This record gives sequence, C-alpha cells and structure tokens, in this order.
Amino acid sequence: MTASDPTAVTGRPSPPGQTTKRIATLLLALVVVGAVLTVDVEIERLIDLPAALAQIFSRMFLDPAPEWSYFGDALSAMLESVQIAWLGTIIGAFLSFPLAFFGAKNITSGLVSNVIRQILNAIRAIPEIIVAVVVFIPMVGLGAYSGTLAIGVHSIGTLGKLSAEVIEGIDSGPVEAARAAGGRPLQIQRWGVLPQVLPEIVAFWLYRFEINIRASAILGAVGAGGVGEALVQSLVYRRFDRAGMLIIVIIVITILIDTASGWMRRRIIEGGDRPSRGDLVEQPERADVELRPFASSGAARMDTDVG
Amino acid sequence: MTTATAPRSARPSRPARTLAGPLTLVVFAAITWWAASDEFGIDFDIGGLLSNLTRGADILAEFWPPDLTVLPRTIGPMLETLQMAVIASVIGCAVALPVAFLASRVTTPNTVAYVFDRAILSVVRALPDVLYALVFVAALSIGPLPGILALILFNIAVVAKLLSETVDGVDPGPLEATRAAGANRIQTVRWAVLPQVLPNYVAYSLYAFELNIRASAILGIVGAGGIGNLINETRRFFQYDKLMVVVIEIFLLVIIVEWISIWLRRRLV
Repeated sequence: MTASDPTAVTGRPSPPGQTTKRIATLLLALVVVGAVLTVDVEIERLIDLPAALAQIFSRMFLDPAPEWSYFGDALSAMLESVQIAWLGTIIGAFLSFPLAFFGAKNITSGLVSNVIRQILNAIRAIPEIIVAVVVFIPMVGLGAYSGTLAIGVHSIGTLGKLSAEVIEGIDSGPVEAARAAGGRPLQIQRWGVLPQVLPEIVAFWLYRFEINIRASAILGAVGAGGVGEALVQSLVYRRFDRAGMLIIVIIVITILIDTASGWMRRRIIEGGDRPSRGDLVEQPERADVELRPFASSGAARMDTDVG
Repeated sequence: MTTATAPRSARPSRPARTLAGPLTLVVFAAITWWAASDEFGIDFDIGGLLSNLTRGADILAEFWPPDLTVLPRTIGPMLETLQMAVIASVIGCAVALPVAFLASRVTTPNTVAYVFDRAILSVVRALPDVLYALVFVAALSIGPLPGILALILFNIAVVAKLLSETVDGVDPGPLEATRAAGANRIQTVRWAVLPQVLPNYVAYSLYAFELNIRASAILGIVGAGGIGNLINETRRFFQYDKLMVVVIEIFLLVIIVEWISIWLRRRLV
C-alpha cells in the first residue's frame, strides 16, 4: 500500500450520512413536544399524581387489607374470564385453521391468498372490545356469551395470519412426495403439509390463549362478562379492598396460566426428551422459521399481539 | 446389533406409543366441557346462537348507514388518542430501556437485581391496559392522564420483555473487548450492548406505538380519554349510526399506523 494509491484505505472510514437521521429525529421531537404541549392534562394533577397513586395503592392492599372473604367470588369471576378466553380461543382456532391454508401463497393462488390475508388483517385491526360492543352485545345480549364470541372472531385475524405464515415456511419435499405418490389435494394437505405445521400452529393457539385471558379480563368493562365487570363494580362503589383482592387474583391466575402454557409450548416446539423432528430430518433452512415466534428472539413475537 | 447392518431402505421404527397424546385430548375435552357447561361455566350454546342469528338483525341494521354528522365531534377525541399514544410511547420506551438491561443476565450478573426486575415485569405484564386505566381513573378521575399512565405501564412491559430477550442473544465478542479495555459495567452496556440492540429497540418501540394506538382508542370506554369516550356516549344513547363512524375511524387509524410502522421497521432491521 502506497500513498499514491487512491483506493488505499488510509484512515478511518468516513462516518455514514446523518441527514436523514437528523430530519427524522427533528420530526419526532416536534411531534412529541407538540403532543405534550397540547394534551389536556393540568399541571396540578401531575403534582398530585404520586400522592393519589400512593393513596389508592394503600387503600387497595394495605388499609384495609384485601378482603379475604371476597376471595371465592373474585376467583370465580376470574375463572369466568378464563373460560371465556378458552372457548374464544377454540372458536378462533377452529375458524382460522382452514382460512390459514387458503391464505398461504404456496397452497392457493396468489389472488385467493391475498384476499384472505387482507380479510384477516381487517379482522385483526378491530379490537375485541369493539367487536363485542358493535356486533355481539346487540346480537346476543350482555354477558359472557358475547365476550366469548368477540374474542373468537378477533382471534381469527392473528391466528389465521400467523398460521398462514407457518404454512408458507414449509419444506416442499413432503408435498412433492405426497403428490408423486398420487395423493389427492386433501391428502396432500393432510400428509404433506399438516405434520410439518401442526406443532407450531398449536403453539400459536396456546399463545393466543394467554393473550385472550388478558383480553377477556377487560371485556367486563362493556358488560361482556368476566372479572372486568366485578372490578368495575368494586371501583364504582369505592370498595378498594375488593378491587385489591380482584387484582391479586387476576395477577396470580394469569401468571400461573402463562407459566403452564409457556411450558407446554416449549415442549410442543422443542419436543420432550424423546428425539425431536430435528434429529430425524436435517432442516437447516427452517432455522429462521423456528426462531420466529417462540425461541428467545423477540423480533417476531411482535407479529402477534402482545396486548 | 443387527440394526447397525440393516439396509438403509428399511422403514424407521414407529415411535413408541405413549399415553401423552390421548391424555392431552382428555384434559382438553374436560376443560372445554367445564368452560362451556351450564353448571360450572358460561353456558355456551352454539345451537342457540345459530337459531338466533336473526335476533339482533334489526339492531345491527341501525348501524348502517353511518351518520356522518358526528364527524366534526370525533376530531378532538381522535387527536387526543394520538397524543396519548405518542406521549406514552416516548416515556414508556425510555423507561423500558434500563428495565430491559436489568432483566437480562448478560447485562445484570447480580442475581437479586435480575430476579427482582423480572418478577416486577411479569406482574406488570399480567394486568391488561384497560384494567390499569380503570384503577387510575378511580384514583385520578377521568381524562387522558390515567390513560397515559396505563399505556406507559403497558409499554414498559412489552418493550422491556422483547428487548431483554434480544439482549440475552447479543454477540459476546464486543462485551469481552470493552471489558478487556477496562470498561466498567455501564460503559460495557453503552459501547458493547446498546449498539447491537439499538435497531431492535427502535423496531420494538414502533411496534409498541402501534399497540398503543389500538389501546388508546378503547381506553376511553372506561373514561381514560381519547376516542373510546365517544364509543360509550353514542352507545349509551343507542346512536348506532354514529357509533359506526367512530368504529370506522378507529379501523382506519389502526390500519394506517400499522402500514407506516411496518414500512419503517423493514427499513430499520
């Protein structure tokens, strides 16, 4: 390398261009400052904030202590939410399963899969609480029944989208084999596609169940059943001891179910101590698919609703 | 062993049959029966629904056509929804950054701090945003402030969870390099971990903003500010044609924000 060589790497690389980054930062800052300046929050309320939060915390958990005689009622209200979430997830799984096959590009034509995917996206965009208010409460009345149906319908969106993506990620070998052996279209799906995708799709169902527990806990706010209704009542009547009890029960049950369901998902995806799929067939190109929803990388968990 | 010399064309042996499969199905059926039963569950009756499909038809018909005269009234609440989402995202994501570093073994070798942080995170994550909003409305009365607080907690839970998992998987090389150069723990995080996870952090924050838009649109149902407030008002007075306008607006808002966010995330990661 000589100094006369113009292409020689002489020193540090020049820093990458900053213009776009600066404009983006400036825009973001403007939006944030604008939002803060115009939002309808009085400054006095912000000053009172810590005291108000400390007070409600103390009235819910410390003084008076959570009402233990209310534990049974709190638990049965929460269990109703769990039941709503369970049945809602089953409805969503049942209806999304065939849709996922039609929504996968490698199974149907581009047009059909596009239309199905757009429908699934549209369903996903409407929160379940709105589905309950707009469709099912008018149709079947207040109560757990509406909540279940609302959760079921909303779940079709995410479950269908994620399952379709799993189906698009399959290895085409078994499908070709099934076709070469003379399988009819349905047989090809059954023996070429289903065994490859079922574990991941079932894991998605379980994951959706965890999310739906949170969703069903809030449906009570519009009268669609579950623990939310009890919480609204206790707060309206200023029974903070009961609200505290309800919150404890919600947190404990949710964490318990998350833990159990997470353990099952790991077993389904990674297998137990028996040799797993991965030991029998080399599938290097599947690595990114496996990572997508469950392994430690969070990047793709994003595709599901965390909320 | 004869199997060692067996020709390659032989079929692999069937996996041993276990009770796990049938047992899972039995448990599944039992839970479903428990949940749907009249006695213990929510009395779920699919036949009744199908025979009653027309029952709500006259109410559903009132949703159409949407009454566009309500449109001017939705502008203010719609802006408030956006304001809440923006403010809560910025604060929540900023707080989530240190919380995420505390929740990963890579950056927090101290077991007490790590376990404590993760326990708090899973408790925060167990309560949905609307329930936080309910409690904050009870404490602070109605308005956007309780809504913003609820969204902040929700953001911390989501972003810290996703980011801590990314931190778990960083390349240890830069960590060793900074440590060998004599960096203390904070310097290590700043120069070895943060540059690796920054694109993910921005992507998660955008995703959290997307979720915030959805959440802040409905928080008003419990009095926590934003467009959800109008859902309640129109619903209470059975103005379903006006409610339809609000629903369509929320739908469009969610879709548009999602498009923008996905486009930005693709560029970033």
